[in-house]
Amino acid sequence: MATVNFRNPEYYTNRELSWLMFDERILGEAKDAKVPLFERLKFLSITASNLDEFFMVRVASLKDMINAGYTKKDIAGMTAKEQLSAVTKVTHELVREQYNVYNKQFLSELKKHGLRIVARHEDLSEAQGMFVDRFFMENVYPVLTPMAVDSSRPFPLIRNKTLNLGALVRRKSGGDALEFATVQVPGVLSRVIEIPSEEEDQKTIIFLEEIIERNIDKLFLNYDIVAVSPFRIMRNADFSIDEDEAEDLLKEIEKQLKKRQRGEAIRLEIEDKMDKELLEVLQRELHLGEEEIYRIKGPLDLTVLMKVYGLGGFEALKEPSHEPAPVPEFSDGEDVFTVIRRGDVFLHHPYQSFLPVVNFIRQAAVDPEVLAIKQTLYRVSGNSPIIAALEQAAENGKQVTVLVELKARFDEEHNIIWARRLEQAGCHVIYGLVGLKTHCKITLVVRREEDGIRRYVHLGTGNYNDSTAKLYSDVGLMTCAEKIGEDATAVFNMLSGYSEPRNWNCLAMAPLWLKKRFLQLISRESEHAKQGLPAQIIAKMNSLCDPDIIEALYEASVSGVKIDLIVRGICCLKVGIPGVSEHISVRSIVGNFLEHARIFYFANDGQAEVYCASADWMPRNLDRRVELMFPLDDPEIRSAAIHILESQLKDNTKAHILQPKGTYEKVNRRGAESFTAQRYFVELSDKAAKDASPELTQSRVFLPEQAPQM
Amino acid sequence: MAGKTFAAIDVGSFEIEMKIFEISNKKGMKQIDDLRHRLDLGSETYETGKLSVQKVEELCKILKSFAQTMKTYRVDDYRAYGTSAIREMRGTQILIDQIEQRTGIHIDVLSNSEQRFLDYKSVASKTEEFHELTQDGAILDIGGDGVQLSLFEDGKLTATQNMRLGVLRLNEALSRLDAGSYRMEQIIEEIVMSQLDVFRKLYLKERKIRNLIVVDDYFSAICKQRTEPGLKAGYVRTKVFERFTGNMMAQSTNQVAEQLDIPEENARLLLISCCLLRHVVAMMDTQMIWAPGVTLCDGIVYEYADKNKLIRSEHDFEADILSSAMNIRRRYMGSRKRGETLEQITLTVFDSMKKVHGLGRRERLLLQLSAILHDCGKYISMINLAECSYNIVMSTEIIGLSHREREIIANVVKYNHMPFDYDALDESSSGLDRETELTIAKLTAILRIANGLDRSHKQKFKNVKTQLKEDRLEVIVETGEDITLEKGLFRARADFFEEIFAIRPVIRQKRIF
Repeated sequence: MATVNFRNPEYYTNRELSWLMFDERILGEAKDAKVPLFERLKFLSITASNLDEFFMVRVASLKDMINAGYTKKDIAGMTAKEQLSAVTKVTHELVREQYNVYNKQFLSELKKHGLRIVARHEDLSEAQGMFVDRFFMENVYPVLTPMAVDSSRPFPLIRNKTLNLGALVRRKSGGDALEFATVQVPGVLSRVIEIPSEEEDQKTIIFLEEIIERNIDKLFLNYDIVAVSPFRIMRNADFSIDEDEAEDLLKEIEKQLKKRQRGEAIRLEIEDKMDKELLEVLQRELHLGEEEIYRIKGPLDLTVLMKVYGLGGFEALKEPSHEPAPVPEFSDGEDVFTVIRRGDVFLHHPYQSFLPVVNFIRQAAVDPEVLAIKQTLYRVSGNSPIIAALEQAAENGKQVTVLVELKARFDEEHNIIWARRLEQAGCHVIYGLVGLKTHCKITLVVRREEDGIRRYVHLGTGNYNDSTAKLYSDVGLMTCAEKIGEDATAVFNMLSGYSEPRNWNCLAMAPLWLKKRFLQLISRESEHAKQGLPAQIIAKMNSLCDPDIIEALYEASVSGVKIDLIVRGICCLKVGIPGVSEHISVRSIVGNFLEHARIFYFANDGQAEVYCASADWMPRNLDRRVELMFPLDDPEIRSAAIHILESQLKDNTKAHILQPKGTYEKVNRRGAESFTAQRYFVELSDKAAKDASPELTQSRVFLPEQAPQM
Repeated sequence: MAGKTFAAIDVGSFEIEMKIFEISNKKGMKQIDDLRHRLDLGSETYETGKLSVQKVEELCKILKSFAQTMKTYRVDDYRAYGTSAIREMRGTQILIDQIEQRTGIHIDVLSNSEQRFLDYKSVASKTEEFHELTQDGAILDIGGDGVQLSLFEDGKLTATQNMRLGVLRLNEALSRLDAGSYRMEQIIEEIVMSQLDVFRKLYLKERKIRNLIVVDDYFSAICKQRTEPGLKAGYVRTKVFERFTGNMMAQSTNQVAEQLDIPEENARLLLISCCLLRHVVAMMDTQMIWAPGVTLCDGIVYEYADKNKLIRSEHDFEADILSSAMNIRRRYMGSRKRGETLEQITLTVFDSMKKVHGLGRRERLLLQLSAILHDCGKYISMINLAECSYNIVMSTEIIGLSHREREIIANVVKYNHMPFDYDALDESSSGLDRETELTIAKLTAILRIANGLDRSHKQKFKNVKTQLKEDRLEVIVETGEDITLEKGLFRARADFFEEIFAIRPVIRQKRIF
């Protein structure tokens, strides 16, 4: 057999284009008439906020590369320039599609269900007009800061991502000269304004910028308004270089620091009917090329739809809100440590409650036998009960060590505040590691018991964030197995700056060992397949773009390993290439809950091994972050995890299958019964909780509550 | 909770390590944490004899965090030991005081033989394997500065020798020579073989050693991860070892680092370690290598647990000490028969005087060792016997003895042959504390009368008994021979004995015909 060069760029999809396909899949949910209408609004809003982040991070990065003269090609063989032009083309189409959905589907359907969105202030009735004008004077006018530009005043700073109104104005006191003026739509006010309806059983809303536009003359009293129109810009903001980029790029950019134009505008969104002269001013002042301008039919910044979703009423048009089920193991109200001592506990969020994890730390904080609590924190919720428990633990004299990752994207300021709080309470705070993001999710509780020290560990695939744990699908393991406890201790020793342990029992840590471990596990399946033994890999993750891993998967496929991948987002691997990836299938599940768990199954000739990890198969996870992978050794837990994978492989409503031609298509059910994995998990967890809850019999004897255990 | 939590700290030349253990009767010693921090103290102190302010600062920082961890685990007790880097610097006491003031951790400095003994104990803490392998085995303890090679027969230590062939030392020598890695093996061979040859001539002769136990930081680490099928963790057959390391030697340092997934700096030291090992293995024609992966900390806890009777130790370390002392005697052509007689008499006297001298088991052992080594100096000079004996004892490594104990034996042996010099032993001139001085005096007094009883070296006394009566010690000897010489000498020596103990020893002869 001729050897195949698995690194052939033809065998790979560019990651940016693959990401855009992911956003298209979410857009697909917004289009899906089977999805409740308001949920569809939410999906459309998500596509918009995703795209914003994509611009600020990825497009900005491509621009950086071009500015730095970086010519190296990506795994799909594209230069930065080629990528940017391809990405630009797709994003324009994507945006067009977003507004098609909004205008052609949502507006009329919403109206049908009693919600009218007044698209243009010109469409307001007289009464409504009076209402909004009064609203403007009372609530909006006081917080506006109009700015005009003339020869003595420079072009003002337009802030990143903000919505603004631009206007061309002419002095009433004569002269033909047009001046540019602008005002920011204030972020302190809600953009969705409810106004009196003309019909009964109807709610009517208008967006704030329309109200301002209607009253713009009140802001520029000495001027005539010639043209006015909303616009929004996105900047190549002052971010540090995205961690996804290669190291040699970082060096290149540093060298060319002077050429680098930070803060330059990279995208301008305008209303398609914007005055030509007004656009010229913006284009000139912001140095924008034609392809960077997005002419939009409809309201700019569709993230506003999340606010519309939040309007009261319309419950019938939303998914009933999901309440995570109690975890059966903890149903007796016993203390967390007793339960864990009895056996490992596997958690599947958000189908199951995150409360046991919070309680784990809460109880550790007050338990007199607990000596130490150690935890990594990446992103936590605003009013985190975990932070409060850690503070309390430190005040109770426990040794509390917390690694707070300050480099978590967009969360830096937020993180510093509560890191300080923890420090003040007496916790030992480690502010991340130099050059590495700490992304692993691990908690260690050291407890002194009758027969000596015992270590309790929680390992997870999702952040210690009780809010996102209700929306993200993740798994976690609670255990007091000695070999995991020892490894967990070693993990925290390493995070505290001590040397690596002499050996690991079972955890694999990135960036030092994890990738190698994955490659070993994959190649072991290859070996088995070559020997004619059954060989299979099922892997679930958020993104797949590590070239070494993909190469190993191609090799495994060629050896005959059956590979099923469940990849939510980016996937640079291609399926169905003859002689390369014929045995690989890829599916992506986009549902109400954000698929976030990473689970890896290896058949291992009948001795199946299942692992969970905080890492995706991406270079940034495997090479530039501290990540952890842990085995599921308990046979019952292992089957539970396998059941999750199998159920997702069975999904035929929310799953999109990657096609050999590179597109994603929904499963063709051909009359088969529909099966939605996420819905199934909800039912499964609810049933398990119900079965485990103590029977409330119809007894006439009252049952006094016991004093709560601390 | 039964048992104790104990911290063992090793302030090494290249790394600072702390291990936390739970010690209980039931479970023995269980390691629950292991903290290591790279800190190169050795390079500075070997070179300049001093430690820079920055290094002291860093050391204190690490020790402070150790202290914090000890607090977390509510550690009951700890021992912190400094090894060669601290030992070889000037002003050790000042540094130790400084560290104690700043971190609350008191560091004791180990002499080489104390350190080696702890390493040896760390191996012995793996009771079963240790017992099995030392029936015909050796321990090679590779440190930064030196290596210690110890031979065992029937489970007993027979010889041990320190050689200055430590990995850091070799590394330094290699870097001075600026040798490429492909020449490394050859250069190491040249440095190593000269010393190993001496060792062979002195101890090994034609003997082959079946098992080699390796204590080190680098080889052990990779050995633990690669277990041969059918063997227990840490065991390697020599053939496999030779093939594996042979392949390794053919590669560059970074290739080795890449392949074994270890930091590059470790890879170089690993190569040096393996090179050294290959030569030792070849010299002894070893068949099996065992790297238990223990460190000094394991020895520290074993010693602590043993001393405090928290565990029951299986191995008789005193027998090791005695057997190596006897080997030293053999090397300096001492008479075994005469030694045994002397040993028997001194111990009889010691035992009957228990109430008077107030010394313990350990001092009894020291006295026994003094008796064994009492006249080793005559190998060099029969005139200058005292000084020569003193020097031999002081410069021969007797593993298992602390530096202080060695000093006691050397002095006892010395003053056995010359008048007791109170001034020389005074704290101000000898550096020995009062208690040590007193112990020396007491043991000397006992050894002297015993030695006097056998002056003619003819072992005239078959059976010596003693009886302590009020103000005299009756030494009852059974002999049919003329003991005029002994009686005369005895009186002279009895004066010193009386001076020390306020008890007059007298000889009573029980004639047997």
